Amino acid sequence: MTPYSGLLFFYLLALLLLPAVVLGLLGKPLKLYGFLFSVLMICAVFWEGGQLPALAAFCLWEGAVFLAYRRWRKRIPLWPAVCLALLPLALVKAGEVWSALAAFRLLGVSYMTFRAVEVLLNLRDGTVKSLSLFRWSYFLLFFPSVSSGPIDRCHRFLGDLDGGITPKEYLDLLRRGVWKLIGGAFSAIVLGGLVWQYWLAPLPEKGLLPTLSYLYGYPLFLFFNFAGSSSMAIGTGYLLGVRMPENFRQPFFSVDMKDLWARWHISLSTWLRDYVYTRFALDSLKKKRFRNQRTASYLGYLLTMMAMGIWHGLGPRYLLYGAYHGALMCLNEALDLHWRPFKRWKKQGWGQVCCVLVTFHLFAFGLLIFSGRLF
Amino acid sequence: MEQKIAEIIAGLCGGEPEEIEPELLLFEEGLLDSFAAIQLVLALEETFGLSLDMAVLSRERIATPAAIAALVREGRG
Repeated sequence: MTPYSGLLFFYLLALLLLPAVVLGLLGKPLKLYGFLFSVLMICAVFWEGGQLPALAAFCLWEGAVFLAYRRWRKRIPLWPAVCLALLPLALVKAGEVWSALAAFRLLGVSYMTFRAVEVLLNLRDGTVKSLSLFRWSYFLLFFPSVSSGPIDRCHRFLGDLDGGITPKEYLDLLRRGVWKLIGGAFSAIVLGGLVWQYWLAPLPEKGLLPTLSYLYGYPLFLFFNFAGSSSMAIGTGYLLGVRMPENFRQPFFSVDMKDLWARWHISLSTWLRDYVYTRFALDSLKKKRFRNQRTASYLGYLLTMMAMGIWHGLGPRYLLYGAYHGALMCLNEALDLHWRPFKRWKKQGWGQVCCVLVTFHLFAFGLLIFSGRLF
Repeated sequence: MEQKIAEIIAGLCGGEPEEIEPELLLFEEGLLDSFAAIQLVLALEETFGLSLDMAVLSRERIATPAAIAALVREGRG
């Protein structure tokens, strides 16, 4: 059973969301039922895929890292804990390119690992002072966004768990959640399905014109499919009383690459911005690593985008995709700093139209690399 | 303090301190970006002798000059 796909999944989803809706409308707390919902949905999805033992092993591993770091965080550095938390993800990603490790497979490992790592970082920063094993498990296994995001933030998520919702507030969440579910299903299943079935699937694998056609069709397919899945996850979260962050905001109207990453897979790019780019640049400036401060920013972008590429996979296409976007972000930064007309063009008129078109084509080419069609 | 904060922000975004209104949305108006936010935090630490934690870099906490002033007041205890 694949999340947000197939009649059986939606039947189960509706069946298990019904008690949450009743509880929410009656003004009863949703916290305990929300956890039960996640456990039941995860058991159904992972059991059918034969991945329940792998998920249990993952949870035990991440749980042990969390408990150990929570206990000794004042005495041990952060980085060994982060490396240990990243290990399951590294094994799964290595298994995708190296057959000796192919046994390591786990649905949603990328998203769950980000959650596990974020908890460690928040404990270190003090933004999360204390966290029980139950609340940690709730955050790690929150089902709606396990397979395709959005990547929620621990601090925000816990705030939703602890805050009560009145029946009136829940009614509003229910209305918005149902629309998100319907709109997301239409986008992912109908629109995404149509683009795939009638545009991308019939295209020959080689040739200039088919590749050119793929260049335009693939971004549309990914957008409909991915934004639709995210929307359904957000809608499901709303019905459980959790206001998950938005993940897409009209990305094809972006005026430059920085703008694009503030609109496409927003929860991933902001996560990487906060935990990779900012930390690297801040640390570099504090330690005066570079004579020119901007070098920290350029290297920060390269590092962040390479991390984004590796997060998708270890295959050459993902590494190249990350490096490509790292280079584009550096170019964007350089144009912002050293070429005055660029800022003016982006703001209005035909200049803005040109910027939107160029950004779309640069992004579409990146997705062509990502798709593997070029190799 | 508010004047100093306005001067720091103006220095980072290339404007005049008088133009920096207390409720100006610094990120939404495109005055600050990710790198400028880091430079802002470092400048606040240096100017006001503070040691700010990483959570300060979340955009909600430095969204406006007024929010930054509140943060500095909080940091000073």
